[in-house]
Amino acid sequence: MSAGTQVHANLTEEQVREISGDLGEPDWLTETRLEALAALEELEMPDVIRTPGRDWTNLHELDFESLVDPLNAAENKDQVGPDEADVLSWTEAVDEHEELLKEHFGSIVDPQENYLTALSTALFSTGTVIYVPEGVDAEDVAIRTEQNSRSLFNYTLVVTEESSSVTILERQSTGEDSEARSASSSASGDEPRAADEQYYSGIVEVAAGENSYVQYGSLQNLSEEAYNFTVKRGVTDTYATIDWIEGNLGTQLTKTEVSTELRGDSSETQIVGAFYGHNDQHFDLDAKVWHRAEHTTADLVTRGVTDDIARSVYEGVQDVGSDAWDTSSYQRENTLMLSDESEADASPKLIINNHDTEASHSATVGQIDKEDLFYMTSRGVDPRAARNMLVEGFFVPVLEEVDVDELRDDLTELIGARLRQRD
Amino acid sequence: MARLELNNLHAEVAEGDEKILEGVNLEVRSGEIHALMGPNGSGKSTTAKVIAGHPAYEVTDGEVLLHLEDEEFGEDIEIDEDQRTWNLLDLEPNERAALGIFLGFQYPAEIEGVTMTNFLRTALNAKIEEREELFEDEDGEADAEEDDEGFENSPMEGDVDEGEVGVAEFQQILQEKMEQLDMDEKFAQRYLNAGFSGGEKKQNEVLQAAILEPSVAVLDEIDSGLDIDRLQDVSSGINALRDEQGTGILQITHYQRILDYVEPDHVHVMLDGQIAKSGGPELAEKLEDKGYDWVREEVYGTA
Ligand SMILES: Nc1ncnc2c1ncn2[C@@H]1O[C@H](COP(=O)(O)OP(=O)(O)OP(=O)(O)O)[C@@H](O)[C@H]1O
Ligand SMILES: [Mg+2]
Repeated sequence: MSAGTQVHANLTEEQVREISGDLGEPDWLTETRLEALAALEELEMPDVIRTPGRDWTNLHELDFESLVDPLNAAENKDQVGPDEADVLSWTEAVDEHEELLKEHFGSIVDPQENYLTALSTALFSTGTVIYVPEGVDAEDVAIRTEQNSRSLFNYTLVVTEESSSVTILERQSTGEDSEARSASSSASGDEPRAADEQYYSGIVEVAAGENSYVQYGSLQNLSEEAYNFTVKRGVTDTYATIDWIEGNLGTQLTKTEVSTELRGDSSETQIVGAFYGHNDQHFDLDAKVWHRAEHTTADLVTRGVTDDIARSVYEGVQDVGSDAWDTSSYQRENTLMLSDESEADASPKLIINNHDTEASHSATVGQIDKEDLFYMTSRGVDPRAARNMLVEGFFVPVLEEVDVDELRDDLTELIGARLRQRD
Repeated sequence: MARLELNNLHAEVAEGDEKILEGVNLEVRSGEIHALMGPNGSGKSTTAKVIAGHPAYEVTDGEVLLHLEDEEFGEDIEIDEDQRTWNLLDLEPNERAALGIFLGFQYPAEIEGVTMTNFLRTALNAKIEEREELFEDEDGEADAEEDDEGFENSPMEGDVDEGEVGVAEFQQILQEKMEQLDMDEKFAQRYLNAGFSGGEKKQNEVLQAAILEPSVAVLDEIDSGLDIDRLQDVSSGINALRDEQGTGILQITHYQRILDYVEPDHVHVMLDGQIAKSGGPELAEKLEDKGYDWVREEVYGTA
């Protein structure tokens, strides 16, 4: 069965050619997009996390037809970084780095991996390419996107050459008085569409060259009317390290995957996640690592909070291939439920095909510890402040991994603000 | 001068009906040191937690009163006649703390991600603020309005600069108290008790008492797990509380050892949820020698 909502029925080759043409793309890129468009017919929705007796996330329910408005993308975007590295908008990258794009575009996340990656590939109208030359250390690259349209399809590519390093923050928010938030007046359909809903789709590919270091941090703080689908995936060369920071606060529904294929010997990855869902938010979060070389190390750490009637479902997969000798792989997930009505599920999975592996995985879902709370209140701290300190403290081990100050500070601030909103 | 008074205190586990305290009577005044001893499971920690307001216990009978004198909290806070006696059982744990109750835990919680400095400054400021609220009189309303205005101007300031005691001033206080207790200053930036050794946790409890300057401190097995040097540091910390703040101390312990340094004025023996016997320091020595059976025998006529 293909996607329930046949958005592609309304999408045309002309639209895709127009997007590609406006961006000045070479023919091969236009073709890649058109192939993705054509494939929609056959492709399935991405896998969602299922627990016995329950489908947590139903992507088929999304009304893509009304959410996707391919030719009216609007955003505010900052793309900044130090001079030694190239931080390019998509059109600049098409101009200046065609060979690089040819080599890497779609090589890590297959455009036709599923319905939503194909949709994103066919329709993306904006993006960033970060290229770090050999030996260069580039700090504090920042990509800030404010979505101002009904739908926004984004693409990010990070390429690091030998012995270089880069720290990146890519963040999304929704424009305050954007079209995306204005009342509905559907141009195409007779169906009244939900007034303020938006759809953000992002694909991120990271190719970490030999002995290079990438920290890619994400701060998703879209409006709580928004839907979000992202895939972030990296591939490591020998001795390379990819560290992901995955921060999720916004949207009514987020479906993300953050993953690394450890393809080079002695390469490493860290996938660090922080989320805080409240109201009726729903997060479906995947963290995955494929150990495909010798002496590789992975560390997956996610901490999250659910409140009100929010739901989170997390799946972490550590997959150790048969040639992955001397693997170290660790995974921890902890969810704190602040309300009785919120729900959280976490399943860490370990697949081992090479027994020369040291691995651990654990997940906990719990509530604020009453003894901790009493300890604090008995010293004079009022219960609300004590709870807030405990929750902020709960995120600290995750925040400590963040290299980019803006990400750490803003994540801390947003978590604090959300807590203070609460009784 | 303050006086903590436990009258006929009965308590049981809130979820369930296991009776633990069966009529505890006890009085601790400012400046006094009381030792509370008794066999494992007799109800000592429960007494301490009920005083502090632990939600796991339900008080089924009796009362816990705190009597204050006019200038208990200095000249700035006027305590009217009708605000001199407080029924602690009606108050939240943080309100009790504001009135000067301190509980040093037998097993202090380990709190990841919250630094000692941050926690203690928050606690100190919360205590001052809560105290002002509890003793707010008619003029108090005007004060409250001022506060509100200030708050409107900077609603998002967060906790960083908020509060009576600022960051710099607090650092000073903390450093001073840590020196007195011979504690390494690196503890100030560590997370609250996280990864502390057993002895370090106990030392940290006394440090917190020193900073919060309670009227009555209940110290639950503060001496367990302390090496000989630390035992002396902790003991002089407790003595300083009494001598400098006039704090009344209720010290729960199993051993004579700490009582050599922190000499009790009164010693109580708890058996089966009651104070079975009280006496002077010599009682503790006798217990050390002979154990509890003779007390049981004396009280119940059987061993
Ligand atoms: N929350 C609880 N739930 C169930 N039983 C409890 C609870 N708290 C205390 N008890 C029981 O009440 C009794 C008294 O416990 P308490 O901790 O007060 O003893 P204690 O005198 O401090 O002992 P120790 O010297 O071993 O510290 C024990 O039998 C204990 O198991
Ligand atoms: Mg005890």
